[in-house]
Amino acid sequence: MKDSAHTLQQRRATPKRTLMICSGLLVALIVVLLVASVIGSERLPIAAALGAIFTGGQSSTGLTAEQRAILFDIRLPRILLAAAVGMSLAAAGAGYQSLLRNPLAEPYLLGISNGAAVGTMTALVFFGAHEWSRPLMAFAGALAATMVVYRLARGRTGTSPERLILAGVIVTTFLSSAIVFITTLMDATRIRAFTFWLLGDLSGTTKGLLAVALIAAVVGTVTLALHARSLNLLMLGERDAFDLGVEVGRVRFTVFVAASLLVGASVASSGSVGYVGLVVPHLVRLSVGSDNRLVIPAAALAGALFVIAADTAARTIIAPRELPVGAITALIGAPLFIYLLKRG
Amino acid sequence: MLEAQDISVNYGTRNALSGVSLRAEPGQITAIIGPNGAGKSTLLRALNGALPLASGNLLLDGAPLRSYSRRAASRRIAVVAQEADLRFPVTVIEFVLGGRFAWAHASAWGWETERDLAVAVEVLEETELRQLKNRPMNELSGGERQRAVLARALATEAKILLLDEPTANLDLSHQATMMRLVRGRCDRHGASAIVVTHDLNLAAQFANRILLIQDGRTLAEGAPQSVLTSQLLHQVFEMDVLVDAHPTSGAPRITPVHL
Repeated sequence: MKDSAHTLQQRRATPKRTLMICSGLLVALIVVLLVASVIGSERLPIAAALGAIFTGGQSSTGLTAEQRAILFDIRLPRILLAAAVGMSLAAAGAGYQSLLRNPLAEPYLLGISNGAAVGTMTALVFFGAHEWSRPLMAFAGALAATMVVYRLARGRTGTSPERLILAGVIVTTFLSSAIVFITTLMDATRIRAFTFWLLGDLSGTTKGLLAVALIAAVVGTVTLALHARSLNLLMLGERDAFDLGVEVGRVRFTVFVAASLLVGASVASSGSVGYVGLVVPHLVRLSVGSDNRLVIPAAALAGALFVIAADTAARTIIAPRELPVGAITALIGAPLFIYLLKRG
Repeated sequence: MLEAQDISVNYGTRNALSGVSLRAEPGQITAIIGPNGAGKSTLLRALNGALPLASGNLLLDGAPLRSYSRRAASRRIAVVAQEADLRFPVTVIEFVLGGRFAWAHASAWGWETERDLAVAVEVLEETELRQLKNRPMNELSGGERQRAVLARALATEAKILLLDEPTANLDLSHQATMMRLVRGRCDRHGASAIVVTHDLNLAAQFANRILLIQDGRTLAEGAPQSVLTSQLLHQVFEMDVLVDAHPTSGAPRITPVHL
């Protein structure tokens, strides 16, 4: 009978199941984190490196001073940033997809990442000395882009998938021109670094921006997770959600703000890393179902894992040179996007 | 008990509803009938508090509906809409459990309780969907899907049911099942139902009172016998109809005259 053969996807999300799946992902994440900290253009001795990490840097016997610096000053911050960015973008993607009722909604494709980029660049050009202005204006840019896309996409009968994609295309291309325009205001030496950053670059961040990214990742993801059940109902339509007791306007606003926080902090620290918000939530849904109480935390963990892996590839494939991590995520994400489109 | 007192609703500059009054009495089914564009669905949305009122009062258990939180209102009023627009895979049990949202505590992430599950299984039993509980919604037939929508509304345990053309896409057998379920709810649990329908015979058969709407206004209101007259129906639908008594039930039977 069909019933006995129902897949994992068709089993209901429960606290126990959520805990099990997220624990598994957490373990996998920790493993990937440790592996990534050891490999790179400068390979570190495994036992010594792991020992150093587990003792929190107190005992670093077996590592040279240079290796210690690479591990704690360059590599681990970068890996932690990758985790923060992956977590943020995947959670934000899951949020947008539920709210906008479109499995293809994603901060990069909707132009929200570009909005954050414009904000960041404006901060760099006009308030360069103040580091905190970058995540702040990135957040503002992301929120503004979100509002524009939402307004454009909202017809009389609600947001259809076609209108949403069209709105996303319009906003993305418009903001791309804005980015090009701002680039012309910069001097030539910065332009090259900038283009690299724009494609997703996890290498050039500061301790301050890393802290912002980590805090934003946690605050934003937790906020979205707290609204998971409302998002489940919003996935069925704003009218149904209203009828069943969701304060639609309030939840929509909160989700947009939380998602903009996530996207803004990610872009401000590492540029536009595309497709994470699309690929990761979708794969999670295919595996465990559409219940956001499970999807949001699972996507956050899986997203962190994905970006750490992509960034590790980015810095080892053509070592000692580096690829922008956004190139790797796009190389994986775009074909997957096409496959998902074709599957209907 | 839900009561609309002389309510008016505008869509921009257009007056969609004007001075409509309605009372949903426990144990009663009220059918709302009228031509397309008369404002029937608008009335239903207004009764749920989804539309702002230009004038008039909407009272739920004596207090204005807008004084209730969304959750509190949803525990008392449930809506059965015409179609479920599904864009993500969801199983029948997950779909029906959506009706328990209004009962969840705001904290604790809203995980379903034992009671929630018990209620869901019970309504699935009632709507004959128990076997399909783990099936994805989009694998269900139109009739099964509509029963699932009804099940979700029943799962809210709301005493007031608002149904918007619940039998529109159903075959004869499923139409009967749907209305029997609603009637059963009203008879056994003292619920009240307000049903917007195009099916005049179904309304005659199951409704205690009928509200005839035209151009946003109430044309007639009362027992089926007094509203479903060939005179009134001719006035509203601009065609000849024959009204006699159903041979078995005695309810008014409407037969259009196409010649």
